[in-house]
Amino acid sequence: MSLRRLVLLLVVAMLVVTTIGPVAAQGKSVTIAFDQEPDSLNPMYTTMTFAGYVYALFLAGAWNYDADLTPNPVLVSEIPSLENGGISEDGTTITIHLKEGLLWSDGEPLTSEDFVFTYEMFVSEKNSPLTRDPYDKIASVEAPDPLTVVVTFPEPYAPWLGTFRYVLPKHILQPYFETDGTLDNAEWNRAPVVGSGPFVFDSWEVGSFIRGVRNENYVGGAPVLDTIVVRFIPDAESYLAALKNGDADVGTFVAYSDIPELEATGHLNVGVYVSGYNEAWYMNVNPETAHPAMLDVNVRKALAMAFNREQITNDLLLGYTYPAVTYWEGTPYSNPDLAAYPYDPAAAAALLDEAGWVDSDGDGIRDKDGTALSLRFVTNTRQIRMDVQVVVQQAFAELGIEVVLENYPSDIFFNSYADGGPIATGQYDFAEWSSSPNGFPDPDTIRFTCDEIPTADDPMGDNWQGYCNPALDALFAEQAKTTDYDARVAIFHQISQVIYDDVIWVGVWYDADTWILNSRIQNAAINGASPFWNIAQWDVTE
Amino acid sequence: MGRYIIRRLLQAVPLLFIISLVLFVLMQASGDPLATLGGRQPPRAEDRERLARQWGLDKPILVQYLYWLIGNDWTLVDVNGDGTGDQPGTRLGVLRGDFGNSLVTRQPAMQVIAERIPNTLILMLTAEALIIIFSLFIGVYSALHPYSFFDNVLTGFSFITFSMPIFWIALMLMYIFAIRFKAWGLPYLPTVGMYDPVVGRTFAQVASHLVLPAMSIALIDIARYSRYIRSNMLEVINSDYIRTARAKGLRERSILFVHAFKNAALPLVTIVGMDLPLLLAGAVVTERIFAWPGMGRLFLDHLNRADFPVMMGLLMLISVAVVVFQLLTDLVYTWLDPRIRYA
Repeated sequence: MSLRRLVLLLVVAMLVVTTIGPVAAQGKSVTIAFDQEPDSLNPMYTTMTFAGYVYALFLAGAWNYDADLTPNPVLVSEIPSLENGGISEDGTTITIHLKEGLLWSDGEPLTSEDFVFTYEMFVSEKNSPLTRDPYDKIASVEAPDPLTVVVTFPEPYAPWLGTFRYVLPKHILQPYFETDGTLDNAEWNRAPVVGSGPFVFDSWEVGSFIRGVRNENYVGGAPVLDTIVVRFIPDAESYLAALKNGDADVGTFVAYSDIPELEATGHLNVGVYVSGYNEAWYMNVNPETAHPAMLDVNVRKALAMAFNREQITNDLLLGYTYPAVTYWEGTPYSNPDLAAYPYDPAAAAALLDEAGWVDSDGDGIRDKDGTALSLRFVTNTRQIRMDVQVVVQQAFAELGIEVVLENYPSDIFFNSYADGGPIATGQYDFAEWSSSPNGFPDPDTIRFTCDEIPTADDPMGDNWQGYCNPALDALFAEQAKTTDYDARVAIFHQISQVIYDDVIWVGVWYDADTWILNSRIQNAAINGASPFWNIAQWDVTE
Repeated sequence: MGRYIIRRLLQAVPLLFIISLVLFVLMQASGDPLATLGGRQPPRAEDRERLARQWGLDKPILVQYLYWLIGNDWTLVDVNGDGTGDQPGTRLGVLRGDFGNSLVTRQPAMQVIAERIPNTLILMLTAEALIIIFSLFIGVYSALHPYSFFDNVLTGFSFITFSMPIFWIALMLMYIFAIRFKAWGLPYLPTVGMYDPVVGRTFAQVASHLVLPAMSIALIDIARYSRYIRSNMLEVINSDYIRTARAKGLRERSILFVHAFKNAALPLVTIVGMDLPLLLAGAVVTERIFAWPGMGRLFLDHLNRADFPVMMGLLMLISVAVVVFQLLTDLVYTWLDPRIRYA
């Protein structure tokens, strides 16, 4: 073979290789961009945030959350509650009533048997799901008739809304499970061609994109869009470029500092949506490790009022966020009657005077009983937190509070008590970081209860403030077994009130997720827990 | 010659064996697959403990290596994660062609890798072709007209591109040809991906998406290659046998491309021979920036998750390719320079 022929052959081969592949159908289409690619599209086999966003396009569940984070019935006719009899008097049994005529995308009926199957797959010893939570908290799941699912817990379990967020198709997966002995390697896990979500999985070009097409059998009626595409763009700069150039319509997790540049394009709308996270000050009130002044609630209140948090949110974060009032900011669980402590240095000074912290020796720093008001403000090495530290140090100096700044790399900063983490072991007076409830959008958290204070004997606790309030403990214990949604919301309003009054946790800013939407998208109502909950209603203008 | 090839291949076996052991130990030290599962709510401690048993990560490292090498179907493994072995394993081991399943996608590691190879080859072979064509042109031209205006311009230009970091070149190309060109109303190139998912995988789509990443890779290596070619050509052109060829009255074209170039190409073959197997590895930075679905992306994504079955498969594949291409390079020498003989 001559060289010329060889080259010709190579060119032809290349043409063939590059052009083999799907050619998409035309129609209304939206392209979402994520910077990570899912590992699996079966909820059993992934914990990735982005995988969760993607499989929600292809799988429906009993319920999701609407724009206000209120539970929204999807496959069920209504959210179980005490009033409608969905929750038993003792709170241990949840009865789910399915809508009539539910269908999988292949036309097979979706019934209570699919719910039972989902439960069985999560807890089966033959499978290796990444987590069995919360299914291993269930005692039994039964299907008395095709439209009814009865879930029984050994004791009242408040976060029951975390179950059946997605339901697996028994008629597809059961045969595989029986033949292979496990669901772990089922092709469906990465190619859920039969589903119940607004879109039907169509193809996954590894490293490039996942595409779905309209599910004509979707419970809420078929979506307006014909296709949905999720692209993967790992590099932050290219991610922004793709959004700007219209190579992607929807993006997320963009830094606040990049927002003006995106908005300047004129065709991108940027919004911030609750993610469960809040940047906050955690006050150390452990008498063994904290500065004595920290034990006085008026001093803590003075600290909150001496710090102009709006200056941070307006100047450093460009006004895209605001000081968070409670740990549950932006969710129904946050007490709506509370307002952020105002910036009022005069009132703060008065509170400190009242508490007995005055500058008696004239060195510019307040003191009491020979102890100077010198506090350790500790955080990690994230730039914006170090910027906040500097602002705070200056502002507090004017009030006669000396602030000693300390920073640790993240891995050390968040180390546990057993590993000698500086916060876990109380080597601070107030510290700043961002956290969220353990199972957002479920509100429960273990950061504020007495039994979570880590000690040498029991180093595994998350209450690094050393805060112990039996009244708050009682409220947390009560909410954990309150299965009725409204009743639980009411308890959390009390809980957020107590934490607010005791000034244990002071929100610096509401650490919401950014979502960028091309202005050609209509009717989108994003939220941080189930961003695409109403994607069936999304439309595009051309 | 045949015996030489067989001897070289046999020598490679213990080498690959040692490489695999070293890589395996290094992989174990590079991260914990259970600590990097991702997401805002990582699995509970009890789930991680169960997974470690189900995936065999609780075994000593040499036992894990043994399972990787020869499989675990001869022993009991802990399928239900209760801490005791209860069923014979299903892995056959590398020596029987089973690289295990990815801890990320749970698909066979070799399938995960094979999906990416064509994509990477499209990008890397295009880039390599651009490199060789342009560097040949620049190198030969510069050697024939040393210290001319064009030699200086081309040399200067190649040094500028050579000294720029790849991510900067890539982002600048994207900024100019994708974003600014679009803003100026000119025909523009796409920013990321291998083709527009809405349009589909057509030749025009792949070609237009290929331009910027291939250019980014090529710009840097054109400088390196063309310098080699220039200096070798310069040396050869001034040698005695070229003067003899000229004295015989051969045509200039045949002198340059038959007599001079074939001899000047010897060092070029060495660097191409070293670079070709690495084409399989893809271009980590370029693929990331242009979201090209190749081996470089695979490498990064699965390294982040400490997915050792895929990482081991990928690294062993490249090791084998290096061994094979070294051998091929040595064989090409004998054709280029008949004085070289292997026995």
